[in-house]
Amino acid sequence: MVDEQRLNRWFCESVLPLEPALTRFIRRNWKDAADVVDLRQEIYERALIGARAAIPTHTRQYVYTVARNHLINRAKRERIVSFELVADMTAFDRGVDAFGAERQLSARDELRRALAGLNQLPPRCREVILLRKVEGLTTRETAERLGISINTVEKQMTQGMRALVDHMLGGPGRIQRPSILRRRSKGPRP
Amino acid sequence: MNRHDTIEEQAALWVMRREEPGWSSFDEAALDDWLDQSDLHKAAFWRLEHGWRRADRIASAGVGAPERKSPRQRTWRNAAMALAASMALVFALFSLQIVHLPAESGREVAVSQASTDIGGRKLVRFGDGTQVELNTATRIRAAMGEGRRVIWLDSGEAFFSVAKLNGMPFVVHSGDHAITVLGTKFSVHASGRTVDVAVAEGRVRLDDRGSGQPARSAVLTAGQVAVAGDNKTVIVSDQAALERHLAWRRGLLMFDDVTLADAASEFNRYNRKQLVIADSRSAGIRIGGSFQAGNVEAFARLLHDAYGLKVRTMPDKISVSA
Repeated sequence: MVDEQRLNRWFCESVLPLEPALTRFIRRNWKDAADVVDLRQEIYERALIGARAAIPTHTRQYVYTVARNHLINRAKRERIVSFELVADMTAFDRGVDAFGAERQLSARDELRRALAGLNQLPPRCREVILLRKVEGLTTRETAERLGISINTVEKQMTQGMRALVDHMLGGPGRIQRPSILRRRSKGPRP
Repeated sequence: MNRHDTIEEQAALWVMRREEPGWSSFDEAALDDWLDQSDLHKAAFWRLEHGWRRADRIASAGVGAPERKSPRQRTWRNAAMALAASMALVFALFSLQIVHLPAESGREVAVSQASTDIGGRKLVRFGDGTQVELNTATRIRAAMGEGRRVIWLDSGEAFFSVAKLNGMPFVVHSGDHAITVLGTKFSVHASGRTVDVAVAEGRVRLDDRGSGQPARSAVLTAGQVAVAGDNKTVIVSDQAALERHLAWRRGLLMFDDVTLADAASEFNRYNRKQLVIADSRSAGIRIGGSFQAGNVEAFARLLHDAYGLKVRTMPDKISVSA
């Protein structure tokens, strides 16, 4: 049994850098683009479950296999198997090569990427993120400084955080459109 | 709307709130609980936490932060808020409010919360028959139903009258301490890193789960008062001490040979008008007796009459000196 700290380190250091490749792979092999993020998260879940027995030595190969199996299972379950999917999946060795290793980002690249992600955010959202990251203000202090409610700060912060992280990991970093459910559920803590 | 969107939004809230001041070991436990529910939660949280940390470099880039409001504006707003708060206090003072919180809702365990302002008192009833009486400046959160009854005392003090339900434990978390109840009445006061537990009826178990030390556990019975700090728990069996600990339920503060400094800090829990003992000689005076918790002016007058101390009343505080 792998302890959670090691699992976390492996996930952050070895799995997350594969996110752009994994996302491309899912997009290429799945018809409905709206499912991509869900599928990616389910693949992460399965990757974690499997790695708990032992941390895989070849992470790239492992994540690719998990992703491939998951897509096939989902497709079977939803009876939407397409021939392209099966064909692509059987070309396993070629597939894992396409599942390319991303270049390791330097500190300068990382900063550039963070700033680019930041610049894509809407002004209010960017302001909230900057106050947290640069001045280290709490939610309450941010609300006071900007003269807006704590609730609004939290909303802007979580949206901005999600978009920024997506961008840091090589995604488009766009803000998810607000949903009805988010307004209703107050999150994990009252 | 998809499932992942909800999970990621929750994960983002966790990441954000963990950075806030006042994040306690029990918030940490609640987060662990959420993470343990599913590897979907773990993947979403770890991913956001990792990416969010990497974005820290923004701070080093010297990006301009939004302009600061002038201090004058802030002072005025604070003053206005303080005024509004003190007016609200006049109405809240020792009126016993009764609210009902739902015992459970649907499949999910409902986490509900209740709080009081400074000087407030409130009775909260739960669907299982349990009643919790909140003392001044107190905040609790509760998760009731689905085979568990858990209350977090985030701050302040509360008296619990726990309904006995077969096989369903009732746990109160406060700081690093957990109090497990076996159908009883008791009060818990969270003060800094110390927790006072006074048992009026029945029996409770006090568990200590501070990090970096072996877990300790003590069973308290009716008439006992425990003061649990970081490294030690002191238990006394003393009916008078118990009565003093529960006096707040009658709106009273009872002191037995305590220093004026300690008495002042007790009063200051209940009143926005803070009692300040200006010199160390006065602070060391030992006093005893019963006082109305909400009437700090009367207490100050008594200090003047009985000890000849100088009392100066200002809008936000009462200063006492030799």
